[in-house]
Amino acid sequence: MIPVNIITGFLGSGKTTLLREILSRPEFSDTAVIVNEFGEVGLDHILLEEVEEGVLLMDSGCLCCTIRSDLKDTLRDLHDRAARGDIPRFRRVVVETTGLADPAPIVSTIAAEPVIRNHYRIGNIICTVEAVAGAQTLAGQPEAVKQASVADRILITKCDLSDAPEIAALEARLHALNPVAAVVRSEGRDFDADFLFAEDLGDAERRAAEVARWLESAARAPAHDHLHDSDTNSFVIVYPQPIDWTAFGVWLTALLHVHGAHVLRVKGILNVQDSDTPVVIHGVQHVVHPPLHLHRWPDEDRTSRIIFITRGIGEGAIRHSLTTFLAAVAPAGGGEAAA
Amino acid sequence: MCGLCGLLGVVHWTETSAHPDAFTGDARRTIRAERSHRAAIVNAALAPLRMKVKDFQASSYILTSATGRSEIVDDIQAVWGAVERLRGAPVDPLDPDWLAALPGQGGKP
Repeated sequence: MIPVNIITGFLGSGKTTLLREILSRPEFSDTAVIVNEFGEVGLDHILLEEVEEGVLLMDSGCLCCTIRSDLKDTLRDLHDRAARGDIPRFRRVVVETTGLADPAPIVSTIAAEPVIRNHYRIGNIICTVEAVAGAQTLAGQPEAVKQASVADRILITKCDLSDAPEIAALEARLHALNPVAAVVRSEGRDFDADFLFAEDLGDAERRAAEVARWLESAARAPAHDHLHDSDTNSFVIVYPQPIDWTAFGVWLTALLHVHGAHVLRVKGILNVQDSDTPVVIHGVQHVVHPPLHLHRWPDEDRTSRIIFITRGIGEGAIRHSLTTFLAAVAPAGGGEAAA
Repeated sequence: MCGLCGLLGVVHWTETSAHPDAFTGDARRTIRAERSHRAAIVNAALAPLRMKVKDFQASSYILTSATGRSEIVDDIQAVWGAVERLRGAPVDPLDPDWLAALPGQGGKP
């Protein structure tokens, strides 16, 4: 399965700088980058040749192409051309979104399309936030809040142009907004490509470390669950008893059917009755990815912990619903969920 | 109904039988037992609405409303869409009235 990374971020937040770095670095030599337009990235100094119509090969070995009619066609076409040998094979795809775009539909496209989901899987979503104007953008632009809320990695760019206290305040704001995303700083060229793009749940060797990082990061999040300049909440539901996985699935699918647009992210580690080892779940809005296996618990705690990032839905409503539903339909696993 | 998705191996994330790597140990149910268990849980959830679901040959679910209208769907996610179509409104898990009407909850809050 080829991981697909999504680069999102508001207008002027540094996506293009990040893309230029990806296209020129040797560690992305086996990557296909899908951009909106070649012109906006400025490829002249790193371009090697046009290997196929609309597909450019960089000096680094990285491929770059533009979105054709839509992303589905582009992903299918890239796979077909590589399989035929028309273009070099690639082991990662990076998709650039426009500055005002919601990244969630891209996740939905990859998860829902039967052909695509047999060849590709969602990798980390990386959101760029500019150090100087980032706080102001988050305060005034709901799209920017959404982009940061669904991200797995947040890269604060242009840190060389901002003061340390301002950056620290922005980091705190982003951590409160999305407590499970890793927030890292950049001054232009110095980003850890492996951590941003490759270290994700799809890598079985590093899955436990990623889950441990979620839990540790969520535990450090501010106690309040409501932010002043948006209606975005983030909170952890702790469920002490082993959960009936089937009942949990019935509940979450029902919740997402009605409220999926407002459940921006759900991530968690579950102690399920149906398994000896913990089960990891993660999803973006209506899309829940296949459950994943962990060899062992990341710490001594054996309770299920589910992290929600929601828009306009409070912690109490989710906790009451889950607790009541499980107690009613699967009473053997019933227990009182805690914050 | 198109059978192509089945040929391509599209499975729902809730199905333990489709994700044997994620669920270890002896507690995992067989496919039929899991589907029967799921149908029982959905029926508990639908009891306040006087709707019922039953497994159909371990491949689909048949949803029936109180008036006898029915719809066949592929997976649990599709059940909720069918519920909304048949009754004209979705089941909202955050609705306190619905939660209070679940089995053993003692009626309206």
